[in-house]
Amino acid sequence: MANDQPITLSSWPRAILHVDVDAFFTSCEQAIHPELKGKPLITGKERGIVAAMSYEAKAKGVVRGMRIFEAKKACPRLIALPSDYETYSLFSVRMFDILRRFSPDVEEYSIDEAFVDLTGLRRIHHTGYPEISGQIQEAVQKELDLSVSCGVSLSKVLAKIGSKLNKPHGLVAIPGDRIHVVIAQVPVEKVWGIGPNTSALLRKFGVTTALDFARKNEAFVQKHLSKPYQIIWNELNGRAVLRVETEAKTEYQSISKTRTFTPPSGDKEFVFGQVSKNLENACIKARRYKLAARRLLIFLRRQDFKESGAEVKLDRPSAYPSELMGPARIGFESIYRPEALYRLTGIVLAGLVRRDEIQHTLFDEPAQIERMQRIYECIDNLSDRFGKHVVLHGSSLPANQQAQHEGDRGDVPQRKTELFKGETERQRLGMPVLKIKV
Amino acid sequence: MSNPLPAETWKERIEDISDFYCRNGRMPSYSEIGVLLGIKSKNAVSKVVDRLQKLGAVARDRRGRILPRSIARPLRVLGTVEAGFPSPAEEELVDTLSLDDFLVKNRQASFLLKVSGDSMSGAGIIAGDLVIVDRSRTPKNGDIVIAEVDGEWTMKYLKKTAAGVVLVPANPNYKPIKPKTELKVAGVVTAVVRKYG
Repeated sequence: MANDQPITLSSWPRAILHVDVDAFFTSCEQAIHPELKGKPLITGKERGIVAAMSYEAKAKGVVRGMRIFEAKKACPRLIALPSDYETYSLFSVRMFDILRRFSPDVEEYSIDEAFVDLTGLRRIHHTGYPEISGQIQEAVQKELDLSVSCGVSLSKVLAKIGSKLNKPHGLVAIPGDRIHVVIAQVPVEKVWGIGPNTSALLRKFGVTTALDFARKNEAFVQKHLSKPYQIIWNELNGRAVLRVETEAKTEYQSISKTRTFTPPSGDKEFVFGQVSKNLENACIKARRYKLAARRLLIFLRRQDFKESGAEVKLDRPSAYPSELMGPARIGFESIYRPEALYRLTGIVLAGLVRRDEIQHTLFDEPAQIERMQRIYECIDNLSDRFGKHVVLHGSSLPANQQAQHEGDRGDVPQRKTELFKGETERQRLGMPVLKIKV
Repeated sequence: MSNPLPAETWKERIEDISDFYCRNGRMPSYSEIGVLLGIKSKNAVSKVVDRLQKLGAVARDRRGRILPRSIARPLRVLGTVEAGFPSPAEEELVDTLSLDDFLVKNRQASFLLKVSGDSMSGAGIIAGDLVIVDRSRTPKNGDIVIAEVDGEWTMKYLKKTAAGVVLVPANPNYKPIKPKTELKVAGVVTAVVRKYG
């Protein structure tokens, strides 16, 4: 087939928009600290590792995961801020709310990415899909002071290609009759969902661009590739297979919680206190989604970044720290080395099942289970009212009494130190705070 | 498909499922609906759920599980129709605003800001006050705005005059500012909050 032949002639059988915030964490910081605009900036100071960087820092060679002292060598004027996830989450929720003003079908794909199904909305907004996308981009810019990149096309895969093409603040519309032009410039490994192995395989068949892949016939795709890649192939050809999933995420395969602390510690009870607090946090989340875990994973990371882990199977699915603390201790004892210094602990609740589907065994004591359930209902109610961790396990105390990070790294976001009258360390007003001195 | 069952039966069914939802805090499964309504066949239950879905009483998630819709709020949807008179208190409270909605108009575009200076003391805004700033509003003459003037941030009245825009303080110790090069309005102050005690 000639390469200048359009893939499809119908321009908008569907219109899916992908919205991606440019450098999300640092952009939130720049929105509330306008004096930081245009400056090289990173977040993650509390962990000593670059969690996110502004475009200005990226330009100087700072990358994600770099240690901060290395990043400062690459960019001496670098400003490092502690992560303020509360503020980032507030911005995230607001962005999704703004998107929902334009279309009810919004998929919250990640904290800073969304898919929006715009199909059929031209009549309401009295303009075309690229223009609606532009209005969305403008609204987020004006109201949140966040720059977003947009891609709008016939499928999620194509929309995602569009949003990546012209970052930052790009707006790329790919109607059906333009697909072949746009995806001819996109290397096949840059397509959402295609990893290094698949792209290597495709290269063996002379496929180097997304267009090459789209042009392959169905027989080829069915013979050589599995279902997920067949879907991508369809999506590249402008046939939307993947739906915009508008339901809030209520299902998790696993829940993990990790915490870093500085300085690294060799105090066994302090390190276990960190494990214990992770466990409590993970359980809070599991209970919120009415889930219970069948397996528990514990891992520790040493100062030299070596990791060790253990898995414990549970007799009965649970999301109650009182029941899980024993197994957690067993797992911890099996990997803890007294001579080592640790800097991070983590917990994973795995094999999650819905709480109301738990099968009790013959040997379970219903009265005991019932009691546990009532205790944690109480604790969750107290937490709702007075803030998280108002009641906590004794073993978490060592982690609670000591600052998570001491010394230079120990700064916590301003949001948590500069409180308004009536706010507490645990609960603050649910609005982002502009850090402007007036 | 015709629906041979009288409306009364559907009302009872909805009430039964609604009772289950209120008691257990979750929707019944298909088999539990079978038990509730005395239907043996799962297929028949599925048809019942189809019908309830059409009525807007329930919905299904993508795995086919049943989600509550109007069934979760039996008082609003059924109560007012079925029971005749709604409780007078509830009726009277429909038109009240929460303090949140009173203070914040566009929730997505509103930010908090803690005031540190006293240049707006004449307008009743003093150091330590919390102001709510709306970024989505177009500033009008006389609005209090948060603005960047020639590289400096300030909170002032915005006055549009024949000679251009002037930022006017509400304190005689300060002078009005006339932007020399640039004026950027970050938002309009829509409320001030001060908490005592």
